[in-house]
Amino acid sequence: MTATRHITSESVTSLIQAHESGAMTRRTLVRRLLALGVSAPLAGVLAARPELVAAQATPASGAPAGELTLVLPRSIEGIDPHGAFAVEESTSVILTMYLDTLIARDPETGDLVPSLATGWEATSDTSWRFDLREGVTFHDGTGFTSADVKASLERVLELDGPLKPLWAQVESVETPDPLTVIINTTEPLGTIPVNATLLFIGPAAGMSEDGFWTNPTGIGPFKFASWVPDSEMIMEANADYWGGAPLLERLIVRDIPEPAARLTALETGEIDFTFQIAPDQLPALQDNPDLVIDSAQSYGYYFNWFNAQREPFTDARVRQAMTYALDVEAIVTELMASVGQRAQAPIPPTVFGFEAQTPYEYDPERAMSLLADAGYPDGFETTVQWNPDSGPQDRALIQTMISYWDAIGVKVESLEKERGLWIEDLVALNWDMNFQTNVVRTGDADFTLRRLYVSEANRNGYKNEELDNILIASAATTDQEEREQLFGDACRIIWDEAVGIFPIDLIVNYVYQSGIEGFVPAPSSVPNFRSVTVPGS
Amino acid sequence: MSHYLVKRVGYSLFVLWGALTIIFLAIRLAPGDPAAMMIGPSGTQEDIEALRERLGLDESIPVQYGRYLSDVIQMDFGESLWLNRPVASEVASRVAATARLAGAAAAIGLSVSFPLGIIAALKRGSLLDAAISVASLLGQSVPSFWLGIMLILVFARQFQILPSAGSSGWSHLILPSITLAMPLIGVLTRLIRSGLLDVLHDDYVRTARAKGLHPRVVLARHAMRNMLIPVVTIVGLQLGTLLGGAVIVETVFGWPGVGRLLIDAIYQRDYPLVQVAILFITASFILINLLVDLSYGLLDPRIRVQ
Repeated sequence: MTATRHITSESVTSLIQAHESGAMTRRTLVRRLLALGVSAPLAGVLAARPELVAAQATPASGAPAGELTLVLPRSIEGIDPHGAFAVEESTSVILTMYLDTLIARDPETGDLVPSLATGWEATSDTSWRFDLREGVTFHDGTGFTSADVKASLERVLELDGPLKPLWAQVESVETPDPLTVIINTTEPLGTIPVNATLLFIGPAAGMSEDGFWTNPTGIGPFKFASWVPDSEMIMEANADYWGGAPLLERLIVRDIPEPAARLTALETGEIDFTFQIAPDQLPALQDNPDLVIDSAQSYGYYFNWFNAQREPFTDARVRQAMTYALDVEAIVTELMASVGQRAQAPIPPTVFGFEAQTPYEYDPERAMSLLADAGYPDGFETTVQWNPDSGPQDRALIQTMISYWDAIGVKVESLEKERGLWIEDLVALNWDMNFQTNVVRTGDADFTLRRLYVSEANRNGYKNEELDNILIASAATTDQEEREQLFGDACRIIWDEAVGIFPIDLIVNYVYQSGIEGFVPAPSSVPNFRSVTVPGS
Repeated sequence: MSHYLVKRVGYSLFVLWGALTIIFLAIRLAPGDPAAMMIGPSGTQEDIEALRERLGLDESIPVQYGRYLSDVIQMDFGESLWLNRPVASEVASRVAATARLAGAAAAIGLSVSFPLGIIAALKRGSLLDAAISVASLLGQSVPSFWLGIMLILVFARQFQILPSAGSSGWSHLILPSITLAMPLIGVLTRLIRSGLLDVLHDDYVRTARAKGLHPRVVLARHAMRNMLIPVVTIVGLQLGTLLGGAVIVETVFGWPGVGRLLIDAIYQRDYPLVQVAILFITASFILINLLVDLSYGLLDPRIRVQ
């Protein structure tokens, strides 16, 4: 790929128009032109005589225009919606660009809204019917039918990836006609609609072929154009999209792993948009008038599990003592400003099933008296395992918590483990305390509470029959009010029993060039770019 | 000469086999399991066991080794466990990028260190010599990730005359190749300086000067050729290091090369990908040193006769 590819007439024109309209100073215009790769003499001429280019300016109204260069938090490993990377954050953002799901979530209200399915209902305890949208085509022109939905769901089950547990109770998928899909389950499964927000539909013909997903045919607002792994992915507008053509002509997703380089590229205008900036770099960006910081409460949170099968965490009083020892208010204010806020339940408030709980106020005396009651008047020694890079300020958080625990007599050793080793020990329950982040990908408490806290899952050694019954019942009913009620009870038990410490809910932030409009930050951390425009277009 | 060549090639193949075996064992000795990595924290023990079986990881080590060797000989490198794509094409697509970076760094390194080293040797004891010596020591000691980030902050952010990341054009190559070349410049400059100083005091140089030959001719025709053998050896070793050191530079500058791929593959415990990436780096290293060995024949006629 040559440098001139970046210098498209659209990108130059949009910069010049931004300058013409007063949104950009001439100095910034020259800087941005140079950053694009325009040679210095030419940049000077363009800045001095913008009318040379202005003639080509205005595209036909309504046609997609302009391009946006963005950088995702991590490299894209693969873009197969049903395989191993299906729930990776970077992959999810790409999937939302070139594919569609049956049901989507409104980014502002969080409600379920029709996408490829226009309607859905539970026709019986173990059966759901989806009515599909008419007249939708894939990017190669083939029509979208129920066969594609059936093939996609069956592929999820076959590939055994992280999405499979969501659909484990599916028994069969019927397609009585091209616009109707019936999903039959072995047991009642009330989470089918929310799970459908993660089921991206691919073309039945061809998607199981080797190599399909390195150059896929999609169905979404943007078409896949090209991908150089570890370097750059390009998407182009799908003018025939059923939901209306996107406002952007092209999306360029670049890979810049080093945070300093990413920040620099943002400031020089080489890239337009980025996800997640480290909290210590936010203040500098806030002072920059050319950049906008947009944030939303996310589905993610920090938690510290206790291994309930290991002394002393077998005793709920010890677990509660460890929670009372932390001054979460101070932690949030001093460490997590702009990236986190105090959690009020084992799941964030953005998730269906959330119920606010009574906070554990900072009370070291109470903590020490609970420890004494439990038989540890002089405290004890233990360890906490974690994997670096799990979330913002993770190291600082751990060190802070360790010093609070030290103040009540509990000496905690921090065991920082490389990811491969950490996963191995986590699954084998070979740990005392385990500190990590989690993201409730479906926006529904089932994804976290039911999957991880039933005794059978044995993720943290905590076994409680009452909790099991509640969680199993929550999956067995399709009545959403009943589910919400049950999840509320589950939240209360997990919180009161201090199965873990849940200190912080994470905020997802996006930083982009001012002048970019139409962006709505989504709590799922998977925003869509359909209505985004860049200056000059 | 051809007997020499055959011997060298034979040794090279032996070294290659040794490297392949060591890598095969080392990556499997590292704790952490590819199946566990792929399934992630939400998997159960059964899921992990089932995946191990599917990937053929539950077979005994000798069986896996036998299969591995036969695959390498047939050049069938299999599929990446982590990426689900053929390993050979993954590595191949990155090779060009790494080669460009390493080539540019080698060019910069050689073209800067020769003049500097020669000047330092000729002007020995002067202020210029001292300055060059200090600068080359610094070049050798500065950590490349620090240097890379500093260059980005100065040239991309402060002065905004060079891009901060990416690999698509000539301007993108400048900062990463300078960063990668720096340790090479440091080592080579000092080596050339000391090698030349050694040679300049030898009898034949004195004779050449006594004969009345112009100093530049003495330098070029007599001194340089004789000091080149140790220098060429080190250059060969350093070029091999360039391929490995590129990992850090590739990460800092977002360069889509083999080094970054290797790091990610190790992190993911992707055995096939790690093995092939290391195979590539090792083979390149061996090839470069084979060429160096053969060049001795060109440089020193005495070796040709053996």
